[in-house]
Amino acid sequence: MALLKPFSKLPCLNTANILLVESEEQFQQSLADTLVEETAFTVNVRLAKSLPLPMENEESRPRIDLVVFIINLTSELSFQSAEVSLKNLDPGYFLGKVCFMVTNARNASVPTERLDAVRKLAASLHCPMLFAEDQTPDGVTNATERLLTILKVAAGFVPMATALYLSNLTRRTAPPDIEQPSFD
Amino acid sequence: DRENTIYITLISPGSGDRQNNGSSAVTSRSINIRVNLNFLLCVSNCEYMNMFKNQIHTVMSAFPPVVEAGTPVHGNDEVERHLVLVEKVAYSKGLPPEAISVMLEFAMSLRMGTVLCARVLRCLIPATVVPQEAVVRAVVWLGVGKIPMSTQVLFIKWVLTMFDMIDGKDQLRAIYGFIFSFVTEENLCPFICHLLYLLTRKESGKSFSHLRYGPFIQRFPQFYSYSLFLVFSSLLQALLTGRQPFLMHLLSLYKVLCPELVTLSIPSRMRWVRNHNSTWKSTLIGVQKRNGSQAASSIGLAFTIKDKASSRKRKHTHLQLPALSSVVNKQPQSEPSSSRKLVPLVQLHSFAQLLENMHHIELPAQMGSLLGSSLALQYLDFVQDESALLRLNFWLGYALYEEFLFCGDGGGFQNSDEALQFLNKLLSTENFLQGGFTSSEAFLYKFLTVWDGSLLRPQILALLSNIPVVPSSQIGRLLFEPLMQLFFTSSVFFKCGLVECLNSMLLKWLTWHSVYALEDDLDISLKSYTSINMTLSGFKDSVMDLVHFVGQLASVGLQLEGCHSLLLSFTLDFYETVCDMFLKYGLPLVVMPPPGVFYPTLFATDPISVDRLAYIMYRYKVNLASAKSQEKLTEAFHISSQTFHEFNHYVVVMVNSLWNSRMFKPDMDLKLSEELLLKSSVPQHWTSFDLIHHPAFMSYAIDFHQKVTFLHQKSYDADILTSIKLTPQSGPKERFGDVTTFPSFFRLATCLLQKHP
Repeated sequence: MALLKPFSKLPCLNTANILLVESEEQFQQSLADTLVEETAFTVNVRLAKSLPLPMENEESRPRIDLVVFIINLTSELSFQSAEVSLKNLDPGYFLGKVCFMVTNARNASVPTERLDAVRKLAASLHCPMLFAEDQTPDGVTNATERLLTILKVAAGFVPMATALYLSNLTRRTAPPDIEQPSFD
Repeated sequence: DRENTIYITLISPGSGDRQNNGSSAVTSRSINIRVNLNFLLCVSNCEYMNMFKNQIHTVMSAFPPVVEAGTPVHGNDEVERHLVLVEKVAYSKGLPPEAISVMLEFAMSLRMGTVLCARVLRCLIPATVVPQEAVVRAVVWLGVGKIPMSTQVLFIKWVLTMFDMIDGKDQLRAIYGFIFSFVTEENLCPFICHLLYLLTRKESGKSFSHLRYGPFIQRFPQFYSYSLFLVFSSLLQALLTGRQPFLMHLLSLYKVLCPELVTLSIPSRMRWVRNHNSTWKSTLIGVQKRNGSQAASSIGLAFTIKDKASSRKRKHTHLQLPALSSVVNKQPQSEPSSSRKLVPLVQLHSFAQLLENMHHIELPAQMGSLLGSSLALQYLDFVQDESALLRLNFWLGYALYEEFLFCGDGGGFQNSDEALQFLNKLLSTENFLQGGFTSSEAFLYKFLTVWDGSLLRPQILALLSNIPVVPSSQIGRLLFEPLMQLFFTSSVFFKCGLVECLNSMLLKWLTWHSVYALEDDLDISLKSYTSINMTLSGFKDSVMDLVHFVGQLASVGLQLEGCHSLLLSFTLDFYETVCDMFLKYGLPLVVMPPPGVFYPTLFATDPISVDRLAYIMYRYKVNLASAKSQEKLTEAFHISSQTFHEFNHYVVVMVNSLWNSRMFKPDMDLKLSEELLLKSSVPQHWTSFDLIHHPAFMSYAIDFHQKVTFLHQKSYDADILTSIKLTPQSGPKERFGDVTTFPSFFRLATCLLQKHP
């Protein structure tokens, strides 16, 4: 059992490393393509189907600054796979270096229970949960921008801000019960 | 509950069992409701039932059934072949109205058993319209009771999905009571309630008036429609065990129509239920797309207010605003007792006509069509018809939920600009009515939790800025939490957009306040399109929460974005609104900006920001001074001394750093140790943020110096900058010569020279 650790390796100059974990490997690729277009600093994107990562590349693998779990809400498997993979992360990652990216949240075929389950998971791990529109180019660009915003902080490029600081601002406290807001 | 009992007892048929029936109506609800309801139906519908039974016979003889009742289904290749053909046509072009009639009749009569019934229902895609008679007949078949429950649900779902395409609603309205009777079926109830909601209108009772009255009604003929509502609403209230949203929606409509009958308090915001069947809808969309404008124009019919719009392709049944059509305004078959003549809205073409017919206007069945017509909006705005607003809200909530939250595969609408047009139309309506709709507000709260921050951003943010005041207890959960997460994970442009949106939200809240505060002193009630009553202190709490929230967003946002000047500018826009809340909008509340906004602005590198900060501080000063003088006079409100303290502190800091060259002195917020300052080897470090050396104004100082040396024919001497002496006594004129060439300087200097409280 090889835990992925956030501080076991030294960082490289002007380089940020992001790991995208998605069991279905659909959104991963397009996201990676746009992520590497960033010019202000070097972005290394690593793709994985699930965690733990294989042992063979252990040496050459750089320090991972941000782990993103992509969950497709239309598939139960996608959520379950992310849940299992989470166990292979060092607790240090949960101080702001993990985020969830959820797709297809507005799809009619998604049961509300699954969305709530993902919300609960993110809330219990104190991680931000981003929603993405993976079908349109604009949606992909925007998802990339938002990941880069978090990555910049997680990799230490923003003075006076740390990943823990940002995650304190962006995490959800509890899954909201928006369904029936009664003011009376 | 007692009242309900009495009402129900009143309409019980026999005098002998009246007592029993009435008292047990509450205890064993559903049975007795059934009993009473059956009686009611006998009264109201027997004539209609007979009529339609006759009609069914005539229709059956006119369209002789293709198959005999009881023909075997299994292994019947001929039926299979025909059905496949029908399905093929239905899915490609849609079925003509006559075919819909025949097929619906075939399915609902269960002539070939229940298996085929569901299959036929699934392929009933209309090419143009659905004949009303066919639907009415099918509803009658529903009462026979042989159809399995799942198929009954399927049928009502079909009616709901096709509701816009039914070519008239008057006959359906006539069997309102009959449809109502299905409310007691647990599985059907949500769908029946939705259908009833769509059918309920102010005039609902009228169409019954020509029927022969029952014994009770005969005694009170003038209350016929009223008594119907009485029965319906008391039955609904009796049925209500929890807070089933479908029942609540219908009850809320009844409450608007007959407020005295519904004793329950209805929450102003309710959950939406999904009743439509998305497979039909997507097929329908596909069929309409293929048929093109032809279908649209045949639905829109002759009378449309917008000429061009009706020929637009219908891609999304819900996103497109239905045209104001005259179909629904066909006079009911017989309505002799209607003394008042109603004028359909479509027949009015000018404002003068609207004024003439103001008191007898008939609203269209499709409330969504009101959004597209300016006359209709003027009417709505003037009359403040609550039932119309409620129905419009219902339609809108439904459309928004269906199209943006429960999309088909792949979201569907994203690549079309229909969604854009729809939201723009909604926005212009909200701007016209100067208020948001409760349904769009409820939709936004839900949408924000799944929003990616870029989809339709301008429209969503504009809609968001229209929402009415949110009570302080809810504002954090509904608004701040989702917004905060979006704000801190998005780009700087989103951050700017959100701050701008919150600024315009605050402006609208304050404007509402100033309008309503004028009306009834300080106790305001914000009616506009919400039914929230809010006290002044509640309003102040909400505003304070909003200002503090933006303060928090701005301070941390500025820090994360390295004091981005664009974000700073939007933040200052916001504080320009905040600083004038007392004088401009009469709200006795002054909230100072947090240090996270004040200091980055004071030490900003662009002169405009510093200048605007000086202006904001000046307006704070004017507001505080006037608040203090009024406070002495009336003692109606109190500005906390903490606020004065904060303001004075900020002014002292500003004056000390810009004017007195006393930076880094012990009484300032910025404390740096003496050794560190010495180590930095900056000569005269205490002057480094005064008006001449401030990074924002340095270029002005150099420019001024160059002009002076040019005039005096001297060579450029950098030392002259340090030789210009600043004293608190000297005015700006002595120090900078003709200061009007530096407008920002001038305003800043005059601001600072004002005495502060």
